[in-house]
Amino acid sequence: MPRLRLEGVCKRYGATVALGRGDLSLMPGEVHVLMGSNGSGKSTLSKIIAGSVRPDEGVIECDGSIVTIPSPRAARDLGIAVFYQELSLAAHRSVVENICLPGLGHARGLFRNRAEMTAAAEPFIEPFESVLGEGFGLDVPVGRLRADQRQLVEIMKTLAARPDILIFDEPTSALDRAQVECFMAVLRKLKADGKSIIFISHRMDEIFEIGDRVTIIRDGETVRTSVLADTTMEEILRTMTGEEATGPAAPAVSAAVKTPQRPTVKLKVSNLVAPGVNNVSFEVAAGEILGFGGLHGQGQSAALRALFGAAQSRSGDIEVGTTRLTGNSPRASIRNGLAYVSGDRARDGVIEGRSILENTVPIYALKNHLFVASPRSLGAKAQQALEQLQTKYQTLFHPINSLSGGNQQKVVVSRWLMAPPEVMLLDDPTKGIDIASKAELFRVLRELAAAGMAILLYSSEDAELLENSDRVLVFNNGRTVRELVGDERTRYHLYHAAYEAA
Amino acid sequence: MSGLSTSIADLARTPLVVALGLILALLVLGELLSPGFASASQIMRLLIVASILGVVAAGQNLVILGGREGIDLSVGGVVSLSAVIAGNMMQGSDAGIIPAILACLATGAFFGLLNGLGVTLLRIPPLIMTLGMLGVLQGLLVVVRSGIPSGLAAPGLARFVTQPFLFGVPGMIWLWGAIGVLMALLLRRTLFGYRVYAIGSNETAARMAGVPADLIRVSLFVFSGMFAAVAGFCIIGYSGSSFSNVGAQYMLASIIAVVLGGTPLSGGKGGYTGTMAGAVLLILLQSILTTLNIEEAGRQFAFGATLLVLMLFYGRGKALRG
Ligand SMILES: Nc1ncnc2c1ncn2[C@@H]1O[C@H](COP(=O)(O)OP(=O)(O)OP(=O)(O)O)[C@@H](O)[C@H]1O
Ligand SMILES: [Mg+2]
Repeated sequence: MPRLRLEGVCKRYGATVALGRGDLSLMPGEVHVLMGSNGSGKSTLSKIIAGSVRPDEGVIECDGSIVTIPSPRAARDLGIAVFYQELSLAAHRSVVENICLPGLGHARGLFRNRAEMTAAAEPFIEPFESVLGEGFGLDVPVGRLRADQRQLVEIMKTLAARPDILIFDEPTSALDRAQVECFMAVLRKLKADGKSIIFISHRMDEIFEIGDRVTIIRDGETVRTSVLADTTMEEILRTMTGEEATGPAAPAVSAAVKTPQRPTVKLKVSNLVAPGVNNVSFEVAAGEILGFGGLHGQGQSAALRALFGAAQSRSGDIEVGTTRLTGNSPRASIRNGLAYVSGDRARDGVIEGRSILENTVPIYALKNHLFVASPRSLGAKAQQALEQLQTKYQTLFHPINSLSGGNQQKVVVSRWLMAPPEVMLLDDPTKGIDIASKAELFRVLRELAAAGMAILLYSSEDAELLENSDRVLVFNNGRTVRELVGDERTRYHLYHAAYEAA
Repeated sequence: MSGLSTSIADLARTPLVVALGLILALLVLGELLSPGFASASQIMRLLIVASILGVVAAGQNLVILGGREGIDLSVGGVVSLSAVIAGNMMQGSDAGIIPAILACLATGAFFGLLNGLGVTLLRIPPLIMTLGMLGVLQGLLVVVRSGIPSGLAAPGLARFVTQPFLFGVPGMIWLWGAIGVLMALLLRRTLFGYRVYAIGSNETAARMAGVPADLIRVSLFVFSGMFAAVAGFCIIGYSGSSFSNVGAQYMLASIIAVVLGGTPLSGGKGGYTGTMAGAVLLILLQSILTTLNIEEAGRQFAFGATLLVLMLFYGRGKALRG
């Protein structure tokens, strides 16, 4: 008997159908993967099971009996816990408090002491001990953690509810390989204990690694459930998009080879020092994509932020083209032709509650010295940029919060495509973006590079980094320790370089 | 569950619609309690009073929209000071109008600038900064008033504020309407407006998108000072001469008008149209309580209780994110 069964579950927002027909059956001891492109309804389905969204229609069965889940509390009572894609952490509370939050409601009253809470949280932190990274601490407020660390805390929080049914909505989107491996070990253990797990991710390798069955959602309708061992990646992609296969999802990295003309240096960085960055120097040529590799938080992100003027302090020489960069602020950097896409969209990207239009145009407006905002002419340009990445939205005037996570990220990226920069700094830019759109994004980036742009890319996903970079600089402890070129750009060399200096 | 019925339900929950509905209800109630309450001339008088509050609230609205606990408690002081300056520069003569308005605007801009610099450069919380500024202004007022005679409004100004100007409507109300239109354009159709909402909603993201957050925030305080100064100038036209501390009541009233109009104190959303309705609603409420002849204590009580009930109405935000 399935532990959880959904039939014909439906949710609409006004004229938008977020989920048209959700069918799912979740067995005990199963990792059930949910796949679908951005905006197909995966998070909506999760939130319905979590009790934070009420379905308009449909039946939910738990252990064979029909239930309604009117609130997150009701879900918890049914033994359901959810990892929310946009996280559900209290930024001003400590790691321990966040982990124990779900338990505080019923356990022995509110007044548990600190030592007791720490002891309660410890078993859930322990499996990740080796990959927590710098700056993580039991008493650190969650708001001060890196994006990947916050995701780990949300995982721990989900586990700490000791549920029988776990739903993970893109839990790995900011995690690096080592962190993912710890998480996979935890999942395997849960599975062995007979727990039921729903797992959502846009990373194909993870899905085949951990999943038993996969349910594919397309435009809000579940189209198929199959056993993962009997399917192929191509088949899944085909079902997701409803199209015939059009070659491999990720284009071969041949573009770089095609531009062997004399490279002009587009960005020259000498002796960059900033918080977390220790004397880093490198050059990037026009048309080149330079990858930043290594373990999480070794200075890749810090270097990109410092270049963009988002770090508190910075010293060193930065030349964009032939002009030296002065002024340590994002505004000055943008004026000098830099762009920065952050993977932490809730903090650095999304302007909550404002329209998609307002979220797309700021850079274009700044560069063109606009004062009057004409929705019509701005809208036409914004639409063009958004369509390049197949962003799914109702109208430009809907608030950005009405978009699915991946589509919000596309809006943030489109911001820069509306007024292409000289140098693009990408700090885990594809967080939450589906496979097809990811390929499209990198195709667009290659095009821009071919037209003379230089790109710096950091990605928490090794495959993405290795596939798309022409060279990879490996970071360790705030310094660059190695450069991988040509055939060295493999996972093996990447890890070898990352660990040898550690 | 058709889309139409949900959108009507949504509409009925927007503060602007709630405020407009309440305004109508209060007018009917007032007319029942005391016939003539809702007569054209009475409504006109109410609107004049509301317009002065509305002008102060425009600046308050901008500061609050900009977020980061933005609030301007010094508006009352600026109103009072500007009224004194205006009265003394006009001394009952129309020739003084232009110099007086310029002096008022400069004064408002100056104190607004100080507020803005304190909040951005010195990182003083707006509540503290503007409260301190209010103290400074009140002290200044005592000094100024002891040294000079109380001024007199120019007849032209008095006519502009109180007498019909166009289609039987006083110039003051036209001015307010014009400010309403300009504010709507500023907030919705300029990049400045986009940026105000952006820093109010997520300042980090706004900065990352090249928004000069500090500059914008300073300008919001300057706007607030200037709007308060305009209101102080107009008050002289309404009352004839500047009496002591005319501005005191505007501090709280302007904030309440903004919040009643649907701009939360946390900033980043809302707008001036709602605030205008909020200002009318507030003045109407005061007027009804006066009509009822309740003694001061009871009036204060009823006023406060009504506000709390209204806030309860508006407080129904989304319960859960995610
Ligand atoms: N609160 C809302 N108001 C309006 N529309 C919404 C709302 N929440 C979701 N939607 C719409 O419902 C659709 C499904 O969204 P959902 O978040 O479930 O997608 P998803 O499959 O999780 O996508 P992603 O991979 O990008 O996370 C989207 O088109 C989205 O725009
Ligand atoms: Mg989602």
